[in-house]
Amino acid sequence: MKIRRPKPLVSKVKLKETLNPNQQEKENNEVHADNTVNANSSNKRKENGDIVSSDLSKNEEKIRSIYKNCSDVIYRTFYIGNKTKALLIYIEGLSNEQEIEESVLSPLMNERNMGTEIQSLMTKTVSAPNIKEVSTYIDCVNELSVGKTVIFVSQNSSAFSVSLTKWEKRAIEQPESESVVRGPREGFIEDITVNTSLLRRRIRSPKLKMVRYLVGKYSETSVVIAYVDGLASEDLIEEVKRRVKRIDIDGILDSGTVEEFIEDHPYSPFPQTLATERPDVVTANLLEGRVAILVEGSPFSLIAPITFYSLLQASEDYYGRFLIGTALRWLRYIFLVISLLLPSLYVAVLTFHQEMIPTSLVISIIGSREQVPFPAIVEVLIMEITFEALREAGLRLPKQVGSAVSIVGALVIGDAAVSAGIVSPPMVIVVAITGVASFTIPRYSAAIALRMLRFPIVILAGILGLLGVMLGIILIIVHLASLRSFGVPYLSPMAPMQANEMKDVLIRAPLWKLNKRPHFTGDYNEYRQAPNQKPNPSKGGDG
Amino acid sequence: MIEKGRISALQMATLLYPTIIATAILLVPAITGEYAKKDMWLSPIWASLAGLFVIFLAVKLEQRFPEQTIIQYSGTITGKLIGKLIGVLIVLYYFHATGIILLEYGNFVIGSFLPRTPLLIVIGSMVLVCGLAVRGGIEVMARTAQVLVPFVILFFTLIMILLTPELNLDNLFPVMEYGLKPSLKGAIIPASWFLQLFIIAFILPVLKKGEKIGKAGILTVITVMITLVITNLVTLLLFGVITTSFTYPVMEAARFISVADFLQHLESVVMAIWVAGTFIKVSLFYYVVVIGTAQVLHISDFRPIVLPIGLFLTVLSFWTSSSLQELEQILITSFPFYDFFVLIIIPMLLLVIAKVRKKGATKNRRNKGKVKK
Repeated sequence: MKIRRPKPLVSKVKLKETLNPNQQEKENNEVHADNTVNANSSNKRKENGDIVSSDLSKNEEKIRSIYKNCSDVIYRTFYIGNKTKALLIYIEGLSNEQEIEESVLSPLMNERNMGTEIQSLMTKTVSAPNIKEVSTYIDCVNELSVGKTVIFVSQNSSAFSVSLTKWEKRAIEQPESESVVRGPREGFIEDITVNTSLLRRRIRSPKLKMVRYLVGKYSETSVVIAYVDGLASEDLIEEVKRRVKRIDIDGILDSGTVEEFIEDHPYSPFPQTLATERPDVVTANLLEGRVAILVEGSPFSLIAPITFYSLLQASEDYYGRFLIGTALRWLRYIFLVISLLLPSLYVAVLTFHQEMIPTSLVISIIGSREQVPFPAIVEVLIMEITFEALREAGLRLPKQVGSAVSIVGALVIGDAAVSAGIVSPPMVIVVAITGVASFTIPRYSAAIALRMLRFPIVILAGILGLLGVMLGIILIIVHLASLRSFGVPYLSPMAPMQANEMKDVLIRAPLWKLNKRPHFTGDYNEYRQAPNQKPNPSKGGDG
Repeated sequence: MIEKGRISALQMATLLYPTIIATAILLVPAITGEYAKKDMWLSPIWASLAGLFVIFLAVKLEQRFPEQTIIQYSGTITGKLIGKLIGVLIVLYYFHATGIILLEYGNFVIGSFLPRTPLLIVIGSMVLVCGLAVRGGIEVMARTAQVLVPFVILFFTLIMILLTPELNLDNLFPVMEYGLKPSLKGAIIPASWFLQLFIIAFILPVLKKGEKIGKAGILTVITVMITLVITNLVTLLLFGVITTSFTYPVMEAARFISVADFLQHLESVVMAIWVAGTFIKVSLFYYVVVIGTAQVLHISDFRPIVLPIGLFLTVLSFWTSSSLQELEQILITSFPFYDFFVLIIIPMLLLVIAKVRKKGATKNRRNKGKVKK
């Protein structure tokens, strides 16, 4: 299998596009975005645009001047068949040195039959699977920077690039932030070729397209847009491509960087793309006609467009029994409301609407609050902020220290604060339930948005009681209603109502009932499976 | 068009339902009880005919002038000067109506739940929230309504079900002791709520093409009617003829709920849910005020004037009346005529004049236009 890359180009904005390497197709779409290339890089372009010279020492000088002060570039001079001088260049740590020795250096050095021209000699003797001739310095630099080995041969006005890349990468592990009891345990890693292969292994059809762009002036990070041809709408694909192409930044460190540049409403606390580490989640979304964006160096791929409800669905909903899945989904909805509202309801009821609490309960609450010097709202804010701080501290610290922090925190909050009379026991219960509730939301980015929003609602509750809580809820709903993710209303299918898609929101309908794909915008491929597949005894059996 | 969003007929119905219900559910039982006594549950049925009639008027006008609001086509029908006058009159009516709704809301919240909170805070916070929704346009308002209205209906049903053990069927009889007259009399004031459905004239232009307008309109009228009949029936069965002595009978009713000595005093929950309905009502009126003002003044974008108008509405709500008693007096005595004049007489005259002067598209021409598009 031959991996072909498009003709590279060093300019201020580098954007290249090829089809998925697994397909033997190539599509060039180079964008020279602006004319205001700074002096430095335009010089670089001019000198690097030169054709490789036939003078070996001149070539070496050139490459050495480009890679000046780069100690990780290795130069190795050798003689092909003890006669023709040649120079081999690679970057340490990106190339497989053992392979270079075995399949390039030793066959070439031991070559005895020097009659033919150098091109056919290379094809005959070098046993590496992928070898390519390059003729400009830019190409050489680009080949080197992705870990290939470049060979210059004297009296030959082109160089050879041999693909013997190898670098250290993490093994495929279970994704930590999205673990499951039942379901595939593979997670994406930082290497994009591994990630695309994980997708390709799940969708073998050539209809799965992966378009590659290079984004980032210095980092030149690969960003792959994956979609299934015929399922994702053309407009959506074009829109995603357009937004990715628009990014002009010096470096991409994580898919979060891409996310910030392509979302519709940058000021919203709610995520408008779904970040996931799970290839099975990406696959499911691709098959529903969404688009995935994979970023080199990040195990998180982005899915667009999404709705609010997709943030509340776990992959496991679809792997277990549907009745259980429905129940769990409702549990999540209830705890979503609790995580957002419980502290503010506590404040509102305790401050303004005591009559709502049954008498015996109100007496015990008042009794326990007797020692507490603060009004309910201050108490809630102290405890909630402490809880958030503990969570944040536990998250960043090494595991061993983290557990120590949580023990100390639990002791301080749970016991000492209560016996010191700073907070009341019911308050501790409220904070604990809220904390647990916020962890039931399967997507971290959604959970954190709701966790932060509960603070303004607590303050509203302290000012206007239940009325304030209601106004807060309405504000959040108005905001959610005005959001769109790549043109799809954030609250759909509930608002605007699409009745036949509600069965994947209100319940987790059995898979043999979900015959239609969700409809976002424009044309779509309506049916995903044959109807009437409900299993029953008369259909199966050994008949 | 100033408004670029488009909504479906179902969304329109979800917007209209709380627009009528929100304040009606509070005040109608007491007011109808005053005139209809034990037949108060029949009154909303007669009153709903007024709703059907204004929807008919609005739809007929809309058929002649597709994608235009009454502000725009009144000029075409009657000529520039009179048309402008009618436009200003209607916009001012909606200004006034919004002010009154806000005052009703503020007085209710302060009277029942937050006695020590300044009226300005209560009204101002509501206007601010509504303003944000109005800025989002009709689509955002419709979607918000679609999220909120199911909960409003759910809680309303729940409250009514929880009240059933307290109900006393004897309060209902005798039905129509004095004939139809009392219930018809009781229908006059609720009719002014149904007349508010004329607000549909501002929503019809932003409907998606090919939606079933008539069906959605009738659905709205029927659901509103059923809700009011149930409310009146439940308050009647619960309190009998003393219903009239309460200002807000439904709130009083909510106090009666007691399940297992735990679920009790649910009036705060009722208030919270009711606020959701009021929010939609105020937003829709606010929206009409903003759109109407923008069209009268020929402003190309309505968003910049949303917050200034909100400020004005807040102040206006204080000017409408000085006390709750005065407000109720206005609502019972002069407002029905006011409503009747603006929401029935003017549109009817417009329709008749349009017919006589042959202004606007007839049905056939409209269909032709459709084919072209």
